[in-house]
Amino acid sequence: MRAVLVLAAKDLRLLLRDRAAAFFTFAFPVAIALLFGYVFSGTTGEPLRVAVLVERDSASARELVRLMEADGAFAVVRAPSREAGEALVRGTDAIALVTVPADWESRVATVRTGGSAGLRVEFDPARRAEGGLLVGKMHELGFRAAFGEAAASWRPVAVDAGEMPMERGVPANSFAISFSQGVAWALFGAVLSFCAGIAEERQRGTLVRLLVSPMRPASILLGKAVACFIACMAAEWLVVAVGAAFFGVQVSSWAWLAAASAATAFGFSGLMMLLAGGFRTQGGAQGAGRAVLLVLAMVGGGTVPLVFMPGVLRTVSDVSPFKWAVLVAEGCTWRGWGAAEMWLPIAALVAIGSVGLVAGAALVRRTA
Amino acid sequence: MIEVQSIRKAFGRVQALDGVGFTARRGEVLGLLGPNGAGKSTCIAVCTGQVAPDSGSVNVGGRGSPRDPEVRRLLGVAPQQVALYDSLSARENLAFLGRLYGVADPRRRADELLETVGLLPRARDRVSTFSGGMQRRLNLAAALVHDPPVLLLDEPTAGVDPQSRGSILDTVGRLAAEGRAVIYTTHYMEEAQRICSRVVVMDHGRAIAEGTVQDLRAAHGGDLESAFLALTGREMRD
Repeated sequence: MRAVLVLAAKDLRLLLRDRAAAFFTFAFPVAIALLFGYVFSGTTGEPLRVAVLVERDSASARELVRLMEADGAFAVVRAPSREAGEALVRGTDAIALVTVPADWESRVATVRTGGSAGLRVEFDPARRAEGGLLVGKMHELGFRAAFGEAAASWRPVAVDAGEMPMERGVPANSFAISFSQGVAWALFGAVLSFCAGIAEERQRGTLVRLLVSPMRPASILLGKAVACFIACMAAEWLVVAVGAAFFGVQVSSWAWLAAASAATAFGFSGLMMLLAGGFRTQGGAQGAGRAVLLVLAMVGGGTVPLVFMPGVLRTVSDVSPFKWAVLVAEGCTWRGWGAAEMWLPIAALVAIGSVGLVAGAALVRRTA
Repeated sequence: MIEVQSIRKAFGRVQALDGVGFTARRGEVLGLLGPNGAGKSTCIAVCTGQVAPDSGSVNVGGRGSPRDPEVRRLLGVAPQQVALYDSLSARENLAFLGRLYGVADPRRRADELLETVGLLPRARDRVSTFSGGMQRRLNLAAALVHDPPVLLLDEPTAGVDPQSRGSILDTVGRLAAEGRAVIYTTHYMEEAQRICSRVVVMDHGRAIAEGTVQDLRAAHGGDLESAFLALTGREMRD
């Protein structure tokens, strides 16, 4: 066992010495988690940028724009012409163009006697939901501009709004989802590094040096698997720790996290061995191996989160070890799972690891 | 010290070894010569336990087959390819192997060997920064980490400059003089002439001649290269 640990320590040192491999195993997954976290957060709490075109200056038009600028929901950009307003929206510098028509002032004057005043809102089709929000807000602000501040307190329908404390089973924020995805990318990096490492040992002849040592071939492969296991565990914990420390990711059970990450690391050590047996050269491991892992990661929720996948794709994703890894990561964070829910993905990962280690080790020995 | 008896090994239809036998004794350098494809590398692979022979046997130090991991402790191997980790330093490479073999003080042993092959001043440098000759010297040092009584050196001077070659040959001579049995494969006849106590000439998987350099020269006339060409022919081998 001492020789196995010596070999594992050497492989971990080689991983850390290889800056690219270390980056893709430890830093890149955190970066991906942050990127997706911000992408999924949608508005990210920032005001909506809205272009406003006033076709004819008037007191009530100025009042409407003032109300918009004073509202925390908007960042108003004045458009000097229709063309300029369209350019702002088409260039994604604003989500919509609000046009205050030339007859706004005269139409407002008719409101108290049963007439109506019109505003035009044209929004980016990709921002339909925010467009709907904008239409609602323009109703409110238009009403206030037409009737004055005295009417602002008139609320025929009172809506009492507030933030709801999140419970288990619902992600507290977008990072709760994206950091589980980050775990998938950490595993991706670790597996690819060790898979390529075994191919490199074979190509460079260092595997021969190990084979002529007193170590048994099975012990050599065990050393590789142990190193991969430790790297996967370390990368997983790093991602979760960064998420928990800085981005509000809540760990529901540290004990389950330990069990889940151990099962995940075991499963992916098996996957690594299987890929290492399948690809003889470093180029093959880094090319075809990366392609295989990429497809598995995408299907398994590495890019589109499992919660956003359609039902059919979620079923297809059962074949991907990444799915089970993401599920257990979510299970011990925002899903707050217990034994009843965790056993299946953990069993799947242990099964994948067992099959991968046995079959992969046989393949590696045959091609050594 | 290492006794090879009538080993046969086929890979599919190719008979790589066809009844090869020889003995390398303590304190001697046994040259294993032969053109490309003669079976030298397969012979080394069988002697190091990487490949099991179809028939015949290899006995190392009277302890049995190198397929047994404990018997492999008696062997020091310098593979034909420089088998070192590029991103580790010279000292780290040797210390890693020392730990693998259970050497008491791996770092001290690493420094001793680096001194032996003239690389101590570069102990902390990564192998990727070494010249071909320096890598070959380190490759030889890696075979000596656990102080083995039997050495198998597969073309240890391939592609190195005359200075490094001279250093490697001096080291090999010294190792044999200390009582080790050395099996040395090479394509350079002048090397074999300089350091080998005896040579075995292989071709087509068989040992076609065995004896001292003087014996072969006397039997075929001229120098060792002439004797070698007389035994193996002048046609190209690919």
